[in-house]
Amino acid sequence: MPSPSYTLAELSDLSGLTPRTVRYYVQNGLLPPPRTLGPRAKYDEAHLGRLRLIRQLQRRHLPLAEIRTRLDSLDEDEIVQLSDGQGRPAPESAVEYIRSVLDPAGAAARPAAAGPPALNKPAQGPQSTRSQWERLALTPDVELHVRRPLTRHQNRQVERLVALARQLLEEDST
Amino acid sequence: MTLTARTDRSLIRPSGHSTRYVLLNLQAPRAAAQAERSPVNLAFVVDRSGSMGRQKMRLAKNAVEAAIARVHDDDRFSIVAYDDQVELVVETTTASREARTNALRRLAEIEARGSTDLAGGWLRGCEQVALHRGDRTVDRCLLLTDGLANVGITDPRALEHHAAELRSRGIATTTFGIGDDFDERLLQSMAVAGGGNLYYIESAVQIADFVTSEVGETLEVVARDVALTAHTPYVTVEPLAPYPHARTGDATLVQLGDLVSEQELSVVLKLTFPRGETGASHEVSFRLVDRDSALGAPSQTITWRYADNAANDRQPRDTAVDRAVAELYAARARHEALGLNRAGAFAEARRALEGVRQRIDGYAGDDPLLLELVAQLQEDATAYEAAMAPSMMKLRFAASSNVMRDRSGDGRAKRRSNT
Repeated sequence: MPSPSYTLAELSDLSGLTPRTVRYYVQNGLLPPPRTLGPRAKYDEAHLGRLRLIRQLQRRHLPLAEIRTRLDSLDEDEIVQLSDGQGRPAPESAVEYIRSVLDPAGAAARPAAAGPPALNKPAQGPQSTRSQWERLALTPDVELHVRRPLTRHQNRQVERLVALARQLLEEDST
Repeated sequence: MTLTARTDRSLIRPSGHSTRYVLLNLQAPRAAAQAERSPVNLAFVVDRSGSMGRQKMRLAKNAVEAAIARVHDDDRFSIVAYDDQVELVVETTTASREARTNALRRLAEIEARGSTDLAGGWLRGCEQVALHRGDRTVDRCLLLTDGLANVGITDPRALEHHAAELRSRGIATTTFGIGDDFDERLLQSMAVAGGGNLYYIESAVQIADFVTSEVGETLEVVARDVALTAHTPYVTVEPLAPYPHARTGDATLVQLGDLVSEQELSVVLKLTFPRGETGASHEVSFRLVDRDSALGAPSQTITWRYADNAANDRQPRDTAVDRAVAELYAARARHEALGLNRAGAFAEARRALEGVRQRIDGYAGDDPLLLELVAQLQEDATAYEAAMAPSMMKLRFAASSNVMRDRSGDGRAKRRSNT
């Protein structure tokens, strides 16, 4: 299969980051430079994968220096494996997600599920408590961010809030 | 892999609000030899609530047996049975001969019993799939039910949301509704948000056929999690069919699910243009992406140009696009009319169909296919104005949902070999 190549504009669209941000990452060693330079610069899948992974890590509120350190510790294959397409959450979080829904109180106590461990290992320093922000869409343009795991009571409150908010937001749409 | 794109009209009005349609036709490549196919990682989640009864239960079990017989040593499966309790009948396992024999024994022990914790059963199945996601696996949870979710998480919106969240984490959901009593709107919303398929099974003897058809398709997936992207800063882009979609920056992403070997898919996008200067133009590029870049990210570009009203009125129309658009609006109207009919709003159901019929009649001219569509909508308006038997309602509901997503009425992908 021919591997796709992207212009800066396409790379920007697909990764959800502005061209300016992409250039900033190149300047700061988070992203390798494109294959050719200038206005017709070509980026490839590896660039896209790396950018998606950066975005995922940013969503977990990691500072850039920390992100760079983690990326340096991964090889190409691991980056591709971890950067699930289209800016989605990391693969192992499917199990965490399900467990947080089925048993919110217990989810915090469970050890990590099988799967690529790299994202859960902090590069240095003390173990931070593992938690994950979840985005609940209320409408296509309005989101609620919730940090999991929540207690069972909190989960119920959130579900009520979501139902009320959706009702309210849909009332106002034409 | 082929991708073509065409528009109904390529001139737009300077005053703005021009609506144009793009018909994208794609044909997936043929799968490599069976030996090289991606392994599947499936969960069978089977309703064993009291309503299933002995006969239905037996046929559902036979269906799972038949499906398991089709997978190989490198594939994985698990079996969950649920009523108000969720039972992990067979924990996720590779499909060795021994595992399959053991599964048949365990399946035989399942009897119909209590009420329906659909969410619990389904999520347990998704968890089993999620525990062993691989680099190339086709990860899907197959949910069979004949009833309503009446225990555990029952809010349809919550379930739809969870299905979407799981899809974004790589786990797809396909739903099978059996008989007269299940909630077809719930199963449809879970399948659409879940990136999987929807099947209506009118009579229990058909269960095996539908389940093995779905499993057969997973064995022939050539591209996972396919999406259509449209890049344009100023133009609003939306799909006419109910595909999950979102806009980030200049890109609109339309989620199409997995594609199977030689699948043919038509997608219609509706574009709304802003105002502009005569002679100026908008260039929009459409690209197909998938999780593994198996399709090679083909793209097509179309340009629309601003022209005065007279030129706009005179321009030719692309009939193929007009027909595809009309079919979709007709399917949408039927889908809406079913919802109204279900709620007893019979006059409104008729009006929904009448409205679309009149609009299409307005531009049908003497095109035979469009005129036939108009005639069909006329018949439908009468049929949908009366109370329907549950089986007829479900049949039409599933059919219109599947037709909107360019599958056959009974939920199968369209392929080059069978069109």
